[in-house]
Parts: sequence; C-alpha cells; structure tokens
Amino acid sequence: MTARERSQINWRSAPIAIFAFALLILLGGIGVSVQFNSAYNRARIEQTQGFADVLAASTAAAVDFDDPAAAQDAANAYRVNKQIRLIAIFDRTGKAIAGYQRTGAPIPRSIEALPTADESEIRVSSPIAQAGQHVGMVYLDIDKDLKSRTFARYGIMLGLFLLAALVVATVGLAQVQLRRANRALKSRAEDLGRANDLLEEQMEERAKAEEQLRQSQKMQALGQLTGGIAHDFNNLLTVIQGSADMLCRPELPEAKRARFAQAIVQAATNAASLTSQLLAFARRQPLMPERIDVNALIADMRELIEGTVGERIALQIELGNKPCAVKADRAQLQSAVLNIASNARDAMDGRGTLTIRTGTVRNAAGDSMVAIEIADTGTGMDAETVDRIFEPFFTTKGTGKGTGLGLSQVYGFASQSGGDVRVDSAPGRGTRLTLTLACAGDEEPVDAGARPPEFANQPAVSILVVEDNEEVGAFAETLLSELGHLVTRAASGEEALDLARARKFDIVLSDVVMPGMGGLKLAQVLAEEQPRLPVVLATGYSQEIARSGSGGRAVILKPYRLATLSETLATALQSPQ
Amino acid sequence: MAAMRALALALRAGAAALAMVAIAASAAEPTDISVKAAFLPRFARYVTWPASALPKAGGPYQLCVIGSDPFGSLLDQTAASQTVDGRKILVRRLNSASGAEECQIAFVANNRLGELNGMDGKPVLTVTDGPAGSPRGIIHFAIVGGRVRFFIDQASAQQRRLGISSRLLALALGVRR
Repeated sequence: MTARERSQINWRSAPIAIFAFALLILLGGIGVSVQFNSAYNRARIEQTQGFADVLAASTAAAVDFDDPAAAQDAANAYRVNKQIRLIAIFDRTGKAIAGYQRTGAPIPRSIEALPTADESEIRVSSPIAQAGQHVGMVYLDIDKDLKSRTFARYGIMLGLFLLAALVVATVGLAQVQLRRANRALKSRAEDLGRANDLLEEQMEERAKAEEQLRQSQKMQALGQLTGGIAHDFNNLLTVIQGSADMLCRPELPEAKRARFAQAIVQAATNAASLTSQLLAFARRQPLMPERIDVNALIADMRELIEGTVGERIALQIELGNKPCAVKADRAQLQSAVLNIASNARDAMDGRGTLTIRTGTVRNAAGDSMVAIEIADTGTGMDAETVDRIFEPFFTTKGTGKGTGLGLSQVYGFASQSGGDVRVDSAPGRGTRLTLTLACAGDEEPVDAGARPPEFANQPAVSILVVEDNEEVGAFAETLLSELGHLVTRAASGEEALDLARARKFDIVLSDVVMPGMGGLKLAQVLAEEQPRLPVVLATGYSQEIARSGSGGRAVILKPYRLATLSETLATALQSPQ
Repeated sequence: MAAMRALALALRAGAAALAMVAIAASAAEPTDISVKAAFLPRFARYVTWPASALPKAGGPYQLCVIGSDPFGSLLDQTAASQTVDGRKILVRRLNSASGAEECQIAFVANNRLGELNGMDGKPVLTVTDGPAGSPRGIIHFAIVGGRVRFFIDQASAQQRRLGISSRLLALALGVRR
C-alpha cells in the first residue's frame, strides 16, 4: 500500500469518525440532560417535601383542635404556587380536613380515597405531629416538570440535534469540497503530465532539429572543403593539362619543353603541398616525430621568418630559459610556425611587430608543456572569426592571397602531436596564437646530419613493386627501370606474397591501402617469412599508419618524386632489418 | 398584617357558617363537652412550662379538674389517648386550688371560678368554660358557630412564665396580650 493510498483511505474514513463523534456528542448531551433532569427532579421532590413539611407543621394545631378553616387557610397560602395540583390535610383518623385541587374539584374525603399519583406529578406526604404525637397527614401533589423546563429541555435536545446535524452537514460539505479539490488536483496533475510529455516531445524534436542543423553545417563545411579543393586542384590541373598539351606538340624547342616540364613539376609540388596540409588538418599526416630543441629551431628559422614577413615588420624573438625538448615532426612544426607568421604578416598589412616567445607552461593535467607564442600588432579578429579560423578553406583574405589551409594545418599538427593551439584576439588589439607541445622524455637527439647514399648509384637490384593502381604501378616501374633496376609488379598483397615465396627479391615497395591483403599485413607476413627482406611502404594517406605507425618500416609519401624514392629505397637497403 | 387577619376572620366566618349547616345536617355530631374533653389534654403539646413546674422525671403530665367535673370518663379516655413528648397525661380531680401546684393544666369548673385568684402567678395553664362576664383562665372555651373555640390570655401566661405556641395562638378566637 502506498502512502498515497493510505492517506486516501484515511480521508475516506474521517467522515465516519466525525459522524460517530457527532452522534457521541448528541448522546452525551442527551445523557447529561437526563442526568440534569433527574437531579432537578430530586431537588424538586426535596423542595416539595419541604412544602409539605412546613404545611404539616403549620397545620398541626388546626388539625389537633379540629379547625378546618385554619387548616384551609394554611393550605390556601400555597395556591400562589401554580405547580401544586393538590393539597390534602387529613386528621389522625385519615379523614380529610382541608385542602384543594388546582382543578377546583373537591379533595378526596379520606386517605384511602386518594387516587394514586400519575406519571406527570410528584406526590409527597408529611406526617403532622406535635410534641411527638401523630395528629394527621399532609399530601401534596406537584407538577413533575415545569412547562418552561420541558421546553428548555426539548430546546436543548433540539439544539444539540441541530448542532450534530450542522457538524455532519459541515463535514459532508467539506468532504465534497475535498473530493472536488482532489479531482481538480488530479486533473491538474494529468494536465501537467500531458504538458511534460509535450515538452519531452518538443525537446526530442529540438534535439532532432539541432542534429539536422549540425548535419547541415557539416555538409556546408564539407561543401566548402570539397569546393576549395576542387578550386585549387582545378587551377593546378589547368597548369599541368596545359603544359602537358604543349609538350605533346611536335618540334617544340628544347628550351620551351624544359619550361613546360618545370611548370608541371611545380604544379604537382603545389598540389602535393595542398594535400599534405589537408591531411595535416585531418590529423592523418604520417608524422616523423623527432626530438627538437624548440629554441634552436626558432633561432634557425629567424631568417626564414624575416623573409616571410618582409622588411617593414620588426621581428622580436624572446627565447625562454631552456624550455624542454619536444617530440614532433620537424617539417610540420616549421610549417606551423611559418603559417602563423604569414597570417600575422597579412593581419598587420605589412607593418608592425611580430613577437615570438618560447617558454614552459603547464596544462590542465599539470604536465610540462613548451609554449611557442606568436603575437602580432595587427587588426585582430572578432569572436565569430576566431571561432572559424581553424576551418579548412576559411579565409578572410582576398581571392588568390591564401588557401585557407594554413591555420588548419597548425591545428591538425598540434592536435596530432598531443599539443594544443590557443587564440587570443580582439578587434584592434592584435592576435596572439599560442602553440603548446608536450615535453619529450630524456633521449639522445637523433643525428639528422647523416645523408643517405644515392640509390641512383646502387648496383641493380631486384625490386617487387606491389600496387593495385595500374597507373601508379606503371609509373613506379618506369622510374625504377629507368634507374637500371629489375622490377616485378604485383597487383595485390596475395599475389606479392606468392611471388616473394617463389622468387628472391632484394627489396619490396608496397602500397599500403589495397583491397584484400594490405601493405602492412604483407610487410608483417614477409617479416616473419623473410626477415632480411626490406619492405618500403608507400602511401598517400593511411588511417592505419596515421593511427599506429608503420612498425619501424620506411614509409614514402605519395606523391613521391624520383629523388625521394631513390633515397628511401637506398636507406632501406642499407639498414639492417 | 391587619388585612390578612381580616381576610382570615372573614374566611373563618364563612367556614363557621358552613359548619353550622353541617351540624344542622347531622345531629349525631360530638357534643361540646366531648370536644372540650378532647381539647384539654392536647393543650399540653402547645405549651411550655418552666423547668420547676414540669412533672418529675419520667412522670406524667397532670391534668387537674377543680370543682364539679363536667366531663366524667370522657376526659379520662381522651387523656389516655394523648401523649406529650412520650409522656402520659394523668387526670386528677380536686375540690379546690390547694394541691393544684403540681398540675400543669387545671380546668376550673364554673362552681370554682373563685379559685382562680389563688392560682395567680403559679405556672399552671388554667382553662375555664364560664358564662360571659365570669373570671377567665388563660384559655377560655367559647362556642362560636356551634363549634368549640377558645380565647387565650397571653399576658397572663407570660406572667406565669408559660410559653404558648404561636400555632395555638393562631387558632384562638382572640388573644389578650
């Protein structure tokens, strides 16, 4: 039974209790009235007895000396009391001497003739005695009840009854009101429940609408992204297409041919840089982290930065007191610093001060971080712009002045390197970007000075090229054959494995993303079967490598150029597997 | 008070008139003598005597008849039927007032009314029944309307240190104060 049910039952039984109480009051009132009445009757009997006694005493002589007139006088004195119905005075022989009846009827002649008293009267008698001698009797009948008293009694009863009825009526009314109030409350609770349901429904709808909005914003961003990519690539493709068309012309002078070829190379380089930045933003750039002394890196970059911002912008570099080393991709870090610097330059419209500070800070978790703070004295940005600066292809610069990918790269690089980038800007107050990177543990710096041997000068080796894309595969085969190597091609991981088991190769160059067995899996299997066979992985983008690395294997990024490919293969052949 | 008394007298006169009719109607009613004989012992209950004049402890009240006795055995009968505070009443008959000192009540017969003088000042309730103009005792019978009534000489009673109940006084035809 719940508390609510219990209380309802209590409420239901309350009126019964109150009715019972009212009945009790009524009965109690009647009881008290009866009690009072009997007490009153007793008092009345005593009083009447008193009358009789007084009469008996005062008529003693009259009776004794047979003086009915005197006795009658004494009796008549009581006529003023209208409640006395009868007074009868008898002598010692029982013969009536004097007295009267209220009705005027004659009194009985003797005691024996006296009728018995009825219910409505009180009869008392008193012996008449003088000096111990019995001389007669006085009988006195009186109304049992005063009319006024009777009325009063019935009045009180009626009053009590009315009171009880009033109580019952009041309680009944209250009960009705209570039920009504309960009903109203219940209906209100139901309304509230309905309103709540409606609210929940609306909240769901709102959540759905918000989800739709987010989706549409995502689609918008995606549209912007794809549009930006298409636009930039179309520009580059125009150059490549045009140059290629020109190269196809017969009898083109050698100088022009070289220029067109150079134009194609440049365009392709730009395109590669574009995709690299995109991947950096997507945090899917295959990074090559190394131990970097940030102070040294910034100091080394001074000339580069000065060249980027121009002569009219003063460059201040304030290096902190020995900040810890970080582990990051050197090229990406340099690129991030340059990207920020070039944005600063554009914000300052070619005039102002660019300040680069380094220092050590702590992040929310309490870890030591290196902060690279780059502040300008430019126009600053409003909050809305600040919110969007890391979006790819978002730019405030005019067409052709920027790709809108620079700060995206900064953001992607910082996130992927376990760091963060913070913006602090307001219109007219300049902008400060703070790049934070986690401190690296103690480790010997890698000697980056060693130069790989020239692959071009290698003796001819047998190379297994694994590539599912026909064009890329053919291109790689052409390149490597041109360098004088023996090239065998496989279109899948499975085919490559079969070939590697059947014949002996010096090195394997494998694409990473392929249907069926991928490059990483192939490398793994080969490492077990032929531990001495080096495997170089080539990828344009690989989620797997971006996530968990290449397992120590050499990775070459697409699009790769002849020199890079040659270098990477030479290094792989040299390093012991 | 006077008005009350006048009213009472008027009523009594009326009652007396009725009584006369009643007597005329029934000849077999008790005679005056018998009524007087019935009254005599009863007076004792309405009178108080000084302690010296009361009967000896436990002794009876003495009702004396001085002179010729008009009641005869009637008085003995009525006296025997009455008590005063539990005491009996003894009837004595005397020739003269001598020896009447021990009587509480003395009926002085008409032939001995002269004896009354000798009893002056003595605590004895004297009762007389003489004709008009004759000497009277403290209580004097009279016949009014055919009924035996009496006068009371309260002054004389007080002189003799006798207390007479107001109830008895109320029945008297007249009270001399």
